[in-house]
Amino acid sequence: MKTQKVSLLVLIIGIALQLTSCVKDLDLDQIDDVVLTPVYEFDFLFSRIATDQFIDPNTDPTIIIQPPPIRDTLNYDLLSTDFVVDNLERVELTFEFSNTIERDFVFEFGFLNEAGQRIGPSFDIVAMAGNGEGTDPVITTEVIVLDTATINVLGAAAKLVSSISVQNVTSTLQGVLELKSKGTYFIIYEP
Amino acid sequence: MKTLLYVFIGLWGFLVCSQNKETLYDFADIPQSLLLNPGTDIRFKYHVGVPFLSQIHVNAGLKGGSLYDVFADDGRNINEKIETTLNKLTSNDYLTFTQQLEVFSFGWESKKNNSIYFSGGVYQELDFIGYFPKDFAVLAYQGNQDFINQPFRFSTISGSGELLMVYHFGYTQKVSKKLTFGARAKLYSSMLHVRSAKNIGAFTTIETPQGSNIYQHIISNADVTVRTSGYASLRDIEAETSSEEAKELVNKLIGRAILGGNLGLGIDVGFTHKIDDQLSVTGSANDLGVVFYTKDVETYRAKGNYVFDGFETPIQFSGEESQNFLDEFLDAVPLDTLSSSYITMRPLKLNGSIKYAFNPYDDGSCDCFLAGEDPPFRDALGVQLFMQFRPKRPQYAASLFYYKRLFNFLRTKVTYTLDDHSYYNLGFLLSTHIDKINFYISANNLFEYTNLAKARGVSLQLGFNFLM
Repeated sequence: MKTQKVSLLVLIIGIALQLTSCVKDLDLDQIDDVVLTPVYEFDFLFSRIATDQFIDPNTDPTIIIQPPPIRDTLNYDLLSTDFVVDNLERVELTFEFSNTIERDFVFEFGFLNEAGQRIGPSFDIVAMAGNGEGTDPVITTEVIVLDTATINVLGAAAKLVSSISVQNVTSTLQGVLELKSKGTYFIIYEP
Repeated sequence: MKTLLYVFIGLWGFLVCSQNKETLYDFADIPQSLLLNPGTDIRFKYHVGVPFLSQIHVNAGLKGGSLYDVFADDGRNINEKIETTLNKLTSNDYLTFTQQLEVFSFGWESKKNNSIYFSGGVYQELDFIGYFPKDFAVLAYQGNQDFINQPFRFSTISGSGELLMVYHFGYTQKVSKKLTFGARAKLYSSMLHVRSAKNIGAFTTIETPQGSNIYQHIISNADVTVRTSGYASLRDIEAETSSEEAKELVNKLIGRAILGGNLGLGIDVGFTHKIDDQLSVTGSANDLGVVFYTKDVETYRAKGNYVFDGFETPIQFSGEESQNFLDEFLDAVPLDTLSSSYITMRPLKLNGSIKYAFNPYDDGSCDCFLAGEDPPFRDALGVQLFMQFRPKRPQYAASLFYYKRLFNFLRTKVTYTLDDHSYYNLGFLLSTHIDKINFYISANNLFEYTNLAKARGVSLQLGFNFLM
């Protein structure tokens, strides 16, 4: 008799729990719509060039020199991981030149693959001439956008090549050219 | 990444409370109350738990949010809801899950000294707590652009998980009319353990107007450790999924369950002090112990400092060699795999209560007590406190309870608990005593069963015993 009573009670409680415990108003399919869109900023290239690094100060000041471009090759594989290639939507490279040297400079850069061959486009920026040593530097800012197609090509990049060129200099020129830059990486990741 | 996201969001609604068993604590009619306080003032002469059915316990909780916060079918975009939830959660919010299964249990009153009751048994326990890695969730979800000059702290990465068997034996003694004291020795055999706690250091992107580039990206004083035991040897098996391999995995785990794992020792102690016939105070400490991890140990540790401010060009002006960014990073913050032994404390739990009992069975309506003994009370009211030590900080809970013997064969307890998860936690325990058979079932957060999606914690336990 008692056993019956208790079984009944347990049953009622069981059913009550079943009926009342549920997961309401949820749409778990929304997980398919999850998109991560983080934006990362990382430093890119930096540079500091003073006139005495490319002009011999003892040169006769009346001679106009055409110095060879200052070329450089760096290891650069930040764009080459699968995650980046697959999920990087856009990169904005922001360059900021501060120049006190009274000449325009041309900064050019591009990428090489493992085999040392040029891949993707080359980019060049003109850093405007400054007003001489001791003056406020002249600022040139430029943003270069790498779109998805370019990023896909640059997935094979292993090295970065750059050059800085200037024309018609004399040993009387004084000043500094500084470059600061950053990359803003826009990720679109659908897990 | 995907797996992590799924696991975290998936477990959201279903996980986490502490191991608080507020309904079972000091419920002296059920032998499992001895596992919470070996000094419980029990009245039975012997007990045997029905193997594998004497205590089934599941406890899940989440502090800070619920499944509903993210998956509500309300027309809003899920990414918007994730962002809102992400901003709301802190690194002190967590997800916890505890499951226990009593394999067997038994107890008997000493023949030589009937004031002593011996009890023992074996149970399996799975315990997990994961704190919300707030800073790195933000870094993954939003990036560093909006968080320049703000540190992403490694200390927000914290959690632990363990699967183990517990072999225990203890005694409960009525020292005097007023005092019952008990102690229990425990032998732990850990099958799997993972823990990452007390990580330090930070990743910060700072603006450097006077520096050589726009920013400096700094990893400062990083020291991040993940300790594992029992994992290294399973990892190789997991890679394959043939039935042979699965069998090997099961055999390995069973071997560890029967004292072949990493062993540890611990004790439970507790008391009941009767201030007078009706008023009593209880207290207990559970799992005061350590496990020694010496077998199959693998610890991963990344430690170091690193500063990155971009690529200098032309490199020849600085006289430095061009290096790969990743190589340089790995040299500065190396990831080591160590196999040195370690010791971890079991999560200590403290319980205490004050109880006022009233309305005794002195009207002759119950033959539920022996001649010479005081009749049991039908009602009791009281307060209980609970505390559990966790990797970051202790968890607390406070409960009001009301115990009621509706009939001699049907005894109940209702609790109202305040804890990390909610202020509306109503718990209920129902225990039937028919002949020698005891069945009990208990659940808390009853309000939340109406919609588990909004639940922040759910606990359920049930079991069968033979009692006399």
